[in-house]
Parts: sequence; structure tokens; C-alpha cells
Amino acid sequence: MIARVGLERRPLGIADYALGAWVAILVAVTVYGAATTTGFLSVSNMKAILTAASFVGIIAVGLTVIVLSGSLFSLALGQTAAVSAMFFLYSVRWGLGAAIVLTLLLGLAIGAVQGFAVGAWGANPIIITIGAAGLLEGLAVWLSHGESIVPPDNRTSWEHLANPVLGLPAPVYVFIAVSILLAVVMRRTRFGRQIYLLGENRVAARAAALPITLLTVGAFGIASLYTAGSGILIGATSANASLLLVGSYTYDAIAAALVGGNAVTGGRGSIARTALGAIFIATISDMLLLRGYSTGGQILVRGIIVVVVVVLTNLRERNR
Amino acid sequence: MSRETPHPRRLNAADLAPFAILALMVVALALVPVFTQYTVRTANVYDIFQNFASYGLVALALGITIIAGEFDLSVSSMYLLGGMVAVLTGDGSPMVGILVALGTAVIVGVAQGGLIAGFRLNSMPVTLGGYLVVLGTTYILGHGKSVIYEDYNVGLRLDKPILQIFSIRSLVAICIFAVTIVALRYLRVGRDVRAIGGDRRAARVAGVSVDRLLIGVFVMSALGAALAGALLSYSLATASPTNIGVDVLTFSATAALLGGVRLSGGKGGAIGIAAGVFSLSVLQEILAILRSPDYVSSLITGGLLVAVTIVWAPELSQWFRTTRVSTSLEKDRTPA
Amino acid sequence: MSGERDPEQSSGSRSPVPEAVPEVLLEVVDLSKSFGPVRAVQGLSLDVRAGEVHAVCGHNGAGKSTLVKSLVGLVRPDEGTIRFGGEELSLRNPLDAQGHGIALVNQELSLVPELSVEDNIFLGGLDVPLLYRRRRLSKQARAVLDQLGLGHVQLRTPVETLAIGERQLVEIARLLVRDARLLILDEPTATLSKPEIERVFRATRDLVAQGRSVIFVSHRLDEVFELCDRVTVLRDGRRVGTHEIGEIDRRALIELMLGEMEGAKAMVEHEHTLPGSGEPLVTIEGLTVPGSVEDVSLVLERGLITGLAGQVGSGTSTILRALGGLVPGVSGTVSVRGRPVLLNTPRRAVDAGVLYVPNDRQREGLFLGQTVQRNLIVARLRRLSRLGVLLRRRAHRTARELAGMAGVPVERLGSPAGSLSGGNQQKVLLGRALELEGTALLALDEPTRGVDVGGRADIHALVRTAARRGTAVIFSSTELDEVLDLADVVVTIFHGRIVSVVPRDEASASAILADMTTSHATGTAAAAT
Repeated sequence: MIARVGLERRPLGIADYALGAWVAILVAVTVYGAATTTGFLSVSNMKAILTAASFVGIIAVGLTVIVLSGSLFSLALGQTAAVSAMFFLYSVRWGLGAAIVLTLLLGLAIGAVQGFAVGAWGANPIIITIGAAGLLEGLAVWLSHGESIVPPDNRTSWEHLANPVLGLPAPVYVFIAVSILLAVVMRRTRFGRQIYLLGENRVAARAAALPITLLTVGAFGIASLYTAGSGILIGATSANASLLLVGSYTYDAIAAALVGGNAVTGGRGSIARTALGAIFIATISDMLLLRGYSTGGQILVRGIIVVVVVVLTNLRERNR
Repeated sequence: MSRETPHPRRLNAADLAPFAILALMVVALALVPVFTQYTVRTANVYDIFQNFASYGLVALALGITIIAGEFDLSVSSMYLLGGMVAVLTGDGSPMVGILVALGTAVIVGVAQGGLIAGFRLNSMPVTLGGYLVVLGTTYILGHGKSVIYEDYNVGLRLDKPILQIFSIRSLVAICIFAVTIVALRYLRVGRDVRAIGGDRRAARVAGVSVDRLLIGVFVMSALGAALAGALLSYSLATASPTNIGVDVLTFSATAALLGGVRLSGGKGGAIGIAAGVFSLSVLQEILAILRSPDYVSSLITGGLLVAVTIVWAPELSQWFRTTRVSTSLEKDRTPA
Repeated sequence: MSGERDPEQSSGSRSPVPEAVPEVLLEVVDLSKSFGPVRAVQGLSLDVRAGEVHAVCGHNGAGKSTLVKSLVGLVRPDEGTIRFGGEELSLRNPLDAQGHGIALVNQELSLVPELSVEDNIFLGGLDVPLLYRRRRLSKQARAVLDQLGLGHVQLRTPVETLAIGERQLVEIARLLVRDARLLILDEPTATLSKPEIERVFRATRDLVAQGRSVIFVSHRLDEVFELCDRVTVLRDGRRVGTHEIGEIDRRALIELMLGEMEGAKAMVEHEHTLPGSGEPLVTIEGLTVPGSVEDVSLVLERGLITGLAGQVGSGTSTILRALGGLVPGVSGTVSVRGRPVLLNTPRRAVDAGVLYVPNDRQREGLFLGQTVQRNLIVARLRRLSRLGVLLRRRAHRTARELAGMAGVPVERLGSPAGSLSGGNQQKVLLGRALELEGTALLALDEPTRGVDVGGRADIHALVRTAARRGTAVIFSSTELDEVLDLADVVVTIFHGRIVSVVPRDEASASAILADMTTSHATGTAAAAT
């Protein structure tokens, strides 16, 4: 069944709700939050929300390409982010520019390899990425000898990445910029169009001679690339990187993509939805935090939101 | 529709793979004293069975959902919740704790299975949400911290060596495996679970009550994970909201796949899963004997998982054929 | 007992030696069913006796499939009654029908390949106990399998190791265990080899000897004459005759099936004289797919429309799919514009200029959730983009042009393809393949499947225009009138082999139907019964 995802013909969604409706819900929640939570409606709080949304959001929008292409999702992104952060802080000694480029390339490569196995050989994406996560963890600990990576003292160029610009932390700008970039790519390029088609109906995509392997490599590559980018920012912000960074990035990114309303089987959805999903989750989490909910409470609420949205967006007509 | 003239499948080769792998691991274990300065003692065999007890039921739980054509991503947090509930409610009597944990599992299983069957949803995103809900609940119940289980005698009793290599915990796991083996082979439900994984449409047409079975499968899955988690928490006398040790999901998935469970559904059995769990347990024991750092275990398990997934990737052989034919065309331009 | 009221029934239906009055098992009276404006079945009455093999023949659209579906509860008739064993039935679903003793076996088997034969036989059965692998059940399964000629099949073998013919018998075994008294076999031999067909026949004869009945829906007239006791012919949703097999011959049967068609289609409505280009664009030599297509060789000329006439399972679809690069394991040579090409992937086929249009438009052709515009331009995204970026205005313009050419209403360009009618969906699928530079061959698999008469005419005009503009066209169809209407050259296919190649002017409906439905002893000697 999980291997057959994407082959099933999907009837037109009963609950493919419009992006506009989603924005309305977000606004409604914000208004509610403002009205009922002390400390919510303040500039610093808004900044905090955006910042929290950004790290996850960058990963999530990259992940969205995988979701749209019908390969479900990747469970290796948290580890990829951590490894990228570690590699970045290590390679800063060769110059900031080189560090950024190399880390991004590393991310791209990690993703491309997984994408090839999924695209060319039909390997199950969930399992492959679970395995990749394990490999990345093992490699990271091995190469770092179990210690955190800290950047060398004589180089402080990376600090620029963590400096606030015009009051907002750099990651927020990056999040907005790369989201817009990817949204444009998905809507205006041939690659983006073919990804949507592939996710919609893999069998038809094959019959129409779409380059399935290339598209899947691209999807996983982009996801990993973006994750590496987020990893760079995480590393620069924490000034310290180890596998502890993995945290909940994987599940948070997937939750953002799902909550935004992207169909998990592919072909429907958009980058914008994921970005909104990330912001929405960050908003709710913030509200809960301000109201004194524990970590557990936030995770729980996140889970409930995911389940509710998944039910609404993936409803099918009952077959005979 | 083309006629097929299929070759009778060589049943033996693929079916024996899990046991071949297990045999390999055991041989490797036996060779440790030969090639290194370390020895293998009964305590190591005991450890292997303890490891089996800790993770085996989770692998079984996940494996059954895969055989049924689904995938339960929530097993790793159900594991934790089972432990937390058992510790919190088992103060007076450990049995009560276990029963409450199992009861919680039933609720979770019915909820997930009900949504998946009722709304015909893909199990991945639903169980991902389930994972978060269960994890959150675990945190809340423990107030975000680990919880100590006062009666550490329970743990001692559970882990006391029986016949030097077993313990109550491992015997419980072995019993449950045995029951599952029988059920999958000889009971109608076992066959029906395979049917809905092998060809759901055909099973439905033939008259199998697919929806009820799906709910049952997810209930079984939650029960397995919860029981394993509960027993482990008693053994450690602690329940924690975070994973200690090996990543449960990776371990279970690898064990199930090594055990012959196919991701396409319908294939695999409890014996194979047991073999897969043992293989990984033996492997981990070898690494422990060799004083290998933890990351080696991650590397090997992760690598095994990737390798097995690729070997059984559905389009692998077709890809080889296509690439081979294409390259030969480039070389000598012979028509097809 | 039955039939006397019915004026349509021919006088020869009464048994010449009335020693025992044949007991009627199934009685269908005045069955009618419409799907929207389409009248699938009208006032249909027939009866099936106990212990007989009753054939139901008729060309496509005659109402066979609706009749069958009504008998097993897949379709609720608008009017009419179904009486089984004297009891009037109102069936809710196939399982309900099985409970009464009526069971259907068709192309789509409901066996789980991973399970064993025994497991499949008892799968989903109502009376199967919890601990079901008891010796009693195994004995029962063994007995049924032996009875069906599957004595050599082990109970524990997974069904996936069995050949299709054997699998069919396993499905029948399941139905027998559920006490089926009337078995409906819908085109059972379409995909079987000769020895497998023999086995099915033997099993069928044994079943009726026990008093059960079999309805044999088939277009294979040889087999109808070999196996059946009576035959009912349907045409345009009505029964046009029921005869004892001994009292009718093949020619008469075909005439009954065709009705007026022979006369009407003798009129050549369109220019069918071969356009004199004579330039072979695509040459196919010895195309073989083990198990379905055997040694097919054709020359496809520019501007010429070649029609492959063959029933379901005859291999026509496989031939076209092979041309489209979707069949692994093909051997033979295909040359496009004189150069041999390797067609092992769809990409290569497209690069070589061969465009395949699938027959299952919803599953394999269209992207139902995407807009009509996106579906139309799938094949030419590269041409419509520069440096990877889509040129939206040009894309929209192209989509509008294609929609115009294909007859798709332009205002639907922005709607999801799934919201269009069947006919329009098919037009979108065809529109996608039009006017693509470098196309040598359009391979259309059932170009008007599920399309109404008006849409069919539009699509045929479309195909003709495409051909005249300089490509070769090959299409497959199970419908005789489509082949006669559209093809310049008619190639009949039976059992994966070419039976005849005839230019349209020289083709006659009955000859083609005969070729599509009967085997000829060409080359290999026909197996003796």
C-alpha cells in the first residue's frame, strides 16, 4: 500500500480548500491570540514567532518539493540539518564563502543520492530516508569524535549570518527570500510543472515520458539543499553544532507541509501553503507557550492539528 | 492484457534470507574470540535476549502494519507512552500499570485505525500526527521529565536470569511472538491481514471485512509497542519521554525488512521478524563486546536498512536491464 | 415452462426430443437499464436451464456487460425481474449474489497473489471458521481443485506462481466452495493458451454435468460452438435470438450479431482510397512479446490510418504499448524513417517520434487534478520554455490552439481535467499528441473508448486531419464500426497474430468480425478437441 502511493486515481478533492480560506483561518487565530493572550501582540513576540518559523520553514519549503512530487516525505532532514551545521562551522576556517558553498553542495549531494534510489529504482522513500538518517548520525558522530563543532576563534565572519538586520534576524529574510524563489520555480518553470504532474499521477507521467529519475533527484536534492541552508543558519546562530541540533526539525517540517494543506500523495499544494503552515504552527506554539503550556502540550496540539488537517485535505469519496 | 507464463518462483531462496542473515550474525559472534582478544560468555547471550525483549515487540508491531499494507510511524512514541503510563499507574501493582498501558494503546490504535479505515486515508500522515499526539501526551504525563518507578524490585524480577540466558521479560516477548506466529499461519485473521496487504481490492471483493481488520492491525501495533515500552520502563525503573539508546523506529524497520517483510504488503511473517530482531540484537552485542562506539551501530543499522531497501526496490532489475540495453545500443547500434 | 410467451424466441428453441422438461434455473424478464441517455438494455428477457452452458454473444455495446452486472448485483436494473430457482431476486452486491448462488468470473480476478491456493479459496468466505486450516477444509479444497482439473496444483503454492488459466480456475474453485449454482464466465478465454482453454472447457462440462449452469459470454465463436448448448444473441440492448447450438451456424450467428450493419457500412462515407504517398514512415518487423504478441510485421505509411481490429486480450493494445516504449521484453525491429530505433523506454519512443496515447485515459493518460491546459501541453513543455522557465503566454496560446483543434471547449481550459465529460477528456488526451514537430507515428489505443456517438465522430475527424497533415497513424479498437469508419487499412488481430491485412475498400464487416472472433489454421494446426 505504501509502495503504491501515487498510483491511485484521486477523485477531485472534497476539501481542497482555497489558499484564501487558509489565510483567513490564520488571521482569525492571530486575532484570537491577540485578544486572549497577554504578551502576544508585541513586536518582540512577533519577531520571535517569525524567527522560530524560519528555521523550520526553510526546511519545510524544501521538503514540499518532495511532497508535491509524490514521494511522501523525507525523515532524514533533521539529521541533514545537524550535519550541515557541523560541516559549516568546521569549514569556516576556509573562508565564509567557501564554507557556505561547500555546505550547500554537501546538502545537495546527500539529497540527490537518496532521490536517485527513489526515482530510478523505486525504493521506498520513507525507509530510505530513515536509513539515511541513521547513516548521517553515525557519520556525524564518527567524524566529530562525539564532540560539538565550534568555529575557529580567529574567524568571525560567520557571525554576520546571525546578526539582526533592521531588527529582524537574518534567518527571517532568508526564509522569505528562498520561499519566494522556490515558489517561483515551482510555478513558472518546466521542472516545477513536471513535479506537479509526477506527483499527480506517476503512471501517466511515465506514459508521457516525463524524466522521472531526474525529477526525483531534483526534488530530494532541493529539499536537502534547503535543509543545508537552514543548517548553516542554525549553526551560525548557535555558534556550536552537534547532533543535539536534530531536535524535532524533521517532524516539525513535515507538520508544516501537511498543515499547510499539501496533499500527502502529491500533485496538489504549493510552497506558499507550507510557508503559511510553518508560520501557523509557530504562532500556535507561541500562543501556547505564552499561556504556560509545556513542551508536551505544544507537541500534542501540533499533532492534533496535523491529524485534523490531514483528514480534511485527504478525504476521498468512499469507494463501493 | 497479456498472457503471463510465469516461472514458478523459487520460494526457498527469498524465504530463507532472514535465517541466512541470522546464521551469519551468529557465526560472526562465534568468531569474535577467534579474531580478537574478547570472549563470548553466557552473559552476552542473555544480553541478546534482553535486547530482543526490549525491541522485538515493537518490530513485530510495525511489521504487522507493513504486512497489512500500511505503516505505523507512531510506534516509537507509543513505546514511550506505554512506559510512562505503566510507571505512573503501576505504583501499587505492576500488573495494573501494564493493563492501563495496554488500555491506552487500544484507544490510540482504535483512533488511528478508525481514521485510516473510515476516511480511506494514507497511514503515513495520520500516524505521523498520531506520533506527535502520543509524544505530547507522554511529555505532559511526565511533566516533561523522566519519572522514577519506586519499586525497583519489579525490574529486578523481570530481568532475573532464568536458565542463565532468559528472563521474564524476554520470555514474555518470546511467547507473544509464538502466539503471533501461530495466529498468522493458522488463524483466519492471519490470512486476512496478509490479504489486505497483498491486494486490498481483491480482498474486499472476496468478502474480507477490510475496515475492521485495519483497526485491529493498528490496535495490535499500539499494544505491541506499549507492552514493550512498559516492561522496559519497569526494568529500568524509569520512564522517559525521550528515546534512550537505539532509535526504535530505525531498529524496527530494519528488523522487519531483514525479516522478509515486504513494503509492498502481503508478505512476511512473525518468524522472519523474530529472525530479523535476533540478527540485529546479535549484531549489537558483537559491537558491544568489541567496545565499539555507539555510532558504529547507527552506521551499520542505517546502512543495512538502505541496502535492503535498494535490493528490494521494485524497479531495480528493470533499471539494470534498460541501462544495459541502452549502453549496448550506443556501442554497436544493433536493433532491439 | 418458459419462453412460450416470448414472440422473439425462434421456433427451434424447444428441445426436439422432449423426454424431460428442462428445468429453468434463471429467468430474466423484461430487463431494462439506462445510464443517463444511453439505453444499455431494453426489455431483455432470457432464460437459462439447469445443467446447460448458455452462450451470450453480441458485439460491443450490445448490452452483454450490463446484463452480467445486473445478474450479480453490480447494477440495479430500472425495470424487470430476475428469478433464480423460482425465487425473485433483488441483489445488492456481488457478495449478496454469491449468497444466492450466482457468481461472476471476469478478467479482473480477485485473488491475492501472495496467498496460497487454499487460502485464496477460502478467502472472505462467510462460513470459514477461525482456525481455518483444518483437514476438513483442505480436503474440500483438494476435491474441488481435482474436479476442476487442477490435480497437479499444490494447495500451499502461492497463487502468483500459477499461470493465468490456473488462477481463473482457482477463482472458480472459490465460487464452487460457496455453492455457486450459476457461474457467469465473462470472456474467460481471452488471455488463455490453448491447453488452458481445454482445461477450462473440461471443468465447465463437469460442472454442468452436476446440474450447475454456466453463462458463457464470449466473442470467440469457435469456442461458443464447441462448448455451449444454446446461444443468445444481443444487439443494441435487446435479445435478437436464442438458438440451440445445433440449429445455427457461424454465418447466421454473425449476421444476427451484425444486424443491419452489413448493409449500412457497405456505404463508404469517407474517402478511403489510399492517399498515394506510399512513403513508409514506420516499419515494424517481427514484433514479438512473449505471451501476447507473435511476429507482427507492418508497414505504416505517411498519411495512412491503420486500424488494428481485435477483441480484448488479442494483443492489439500490447502492440501499441510496445511501440510506445512501455513494454519490457519486446523483440523485433522497429524502424522510424529508415533508422532502427530502440523502444525500451517511453522517452526513446517519444524521441523517435512515436506518440502513444493510452487507452485507460483516467489512470494512465490524464492528470485528472491538473487543469485542461496543463494536460494539453504536457508533451511540449520543453518547446514552451526557455532556459527552463515556462513561457506562459505562449503556453496558453498553444493550449488554446490545441483545444480548438481537438474540439475541447476553450472555456474549460482552466478547469481540472477530471471535471470534463468522457468525450472531452478523450479529446484532451488526443489534443496533447497533435501538431508535435517530428512526430512520425500516432499510436492510439482505443481512441473513442467510452465516448458517445457525437464525440466519436469528432475524434475520428480529428484523427483523419492529423494523418493527412503528414504523420502515420495506427489505432486499435474492439469495435467493428469504428474500425470500418476510421481505418484506411484494416489489420485483424487474433491471439497476438495478424490474421489479415485488407484495405478498407475491400473489407467487409462480416469477414472482419469473423477474423476477429475465430482462429484460423494459419501455420500451426488447430488443436484437436
